Amino acid sequence: MFDFLIAGIHVPIFLLVLTGFTVGIVGGFIGVGGGYMVTPALIVFGFPGYMASGIDMTHIAGKGTIATIRHRQLGNIDWVLALSMIGGTMLGVELGVRILNWTKSIGLSGIILLAASVIIMAGIFIYTQLETRRSHKKIDELSKEGKAIGREFTVSKMAQFFQRIPIYPIVRCRTAHLVVSMWVIVGVGLVTGVLAGFFGVGGGFIRVPALVYIVGSTTHIAVGTDLLEIVVSGGYGALRQSMSGNVDMCAVLFMIVGAMFGAQFGSIATSYVRGPAIRYILSYSLILATTGALLRFLYLMTGRKVEILSFFAVVFTLGEMIFLGLFIVSLVYFSVRHRHGRPVPPWIPALVVRE
Amino acid sequence: MKWFIDSMLGYWILLLVVSLCAAALIYEIWLKGTLA
Repeated sequence: MFDFLIAGIHVPIFLLVLTGFTVGIVGGFIGVGGGYMVTPALIVFGFPGYMASGIDMTHIAGKGTIATIRHRQLGNIDWVLALSMIGGTMLGVELGVRILNWTKSIGLSGIILLAASVIIMAGIFIYTQLETRRSHKKIDELSKEGKAIGREFTVSKMAQFFQRIPIYPIVRCRTAHLVVSMWVIVGVGLVTGVLAGFFGVGGGFIRVPALVYIVGSTTHIAVGTDLLEIVVSGGYGALRQSMSGNVDMCAVLFMIVGAMFGAQFGSIATSYVRGPAIRYILSYSLILATTGALLRFLYLMTGRKVEILSFFAVVFTLGEMIFLGLFIVSLVYFSVRHRHGRPVPPWIPALVVRE
Repeated sequence: MKWFIDSMLGYWILLLVVSLCAAALIYEIWLKGTLA
């Protein structure tokens, strides 16, 4: 047990290290942070809502810097796109933090954050399922017609619509190969910034699809540019959250320790396991996180009287983290066996990288 | 038992059950009465 003096609660250290480790592993493995799971998890573990948001935001700011350096080396950052977005993002983060502080002042930050998290996580789950099915359908159609399947393709026509908006200034993003009104980019930054500031997340889970489907960027440029945006929004958000007294640095440090190991392991795992296939399977773990947040929400709404709701909220939230860790570790284990020519379950070869 | 390893759905269910049981055990042993 550790007394978090600023948060005013005592929580076992391993819960924070495990939370950091899980987010690190998901971030290193899938590429997009997974911060949206942290705020509801910390609320389930007893942190006040505003504190959960502040801790999440601060630990993300540090983590994003390392990933951004890596993506810059890979040439995945479009600087024109990123710089055009920064103004909107920072304004959005400021608005988000102010909304959070308002919910804190009326004493409902935990309940509002949990309700919003449930909606967002359920939305991400449905979106991932629909998008993957649509992509599979498109790949099947292209294969039947005998056409080559490129590195990626976009099934949405929204980007073409937004690129035709003739409001000046129009910017040319050379790395992302697109020409679009700066206001579209600023708008994306503003909306994602509000979400980032309020939930204390990096916002990648909204910004990456927004950059792909609204602005028209490719996925790898969207991920790299998003990470740079996270450094800016995370840094500014962490500063604002700290100024508002929403951050317990001890909790942040324990989470960063876990995230450090998790990110390393997640990165190593990508060379053994095929990412896109796993992303689809892992999206199911969101059901557990969403259920956990929903149960905690119901627990708070019933005036903390129904103890069984708190029990199941912790079991589902903690279970989701253990599930993610076990799943990825076991896939790496099977992949190593497969490489050495040892027998593996029949469904493994489609998910792992042979060489 | 073989189905839980040879089928992806079975493996998913197996891991899910193990994870939830482990979480429940941790709660009972370590966290009960301590979380706010």
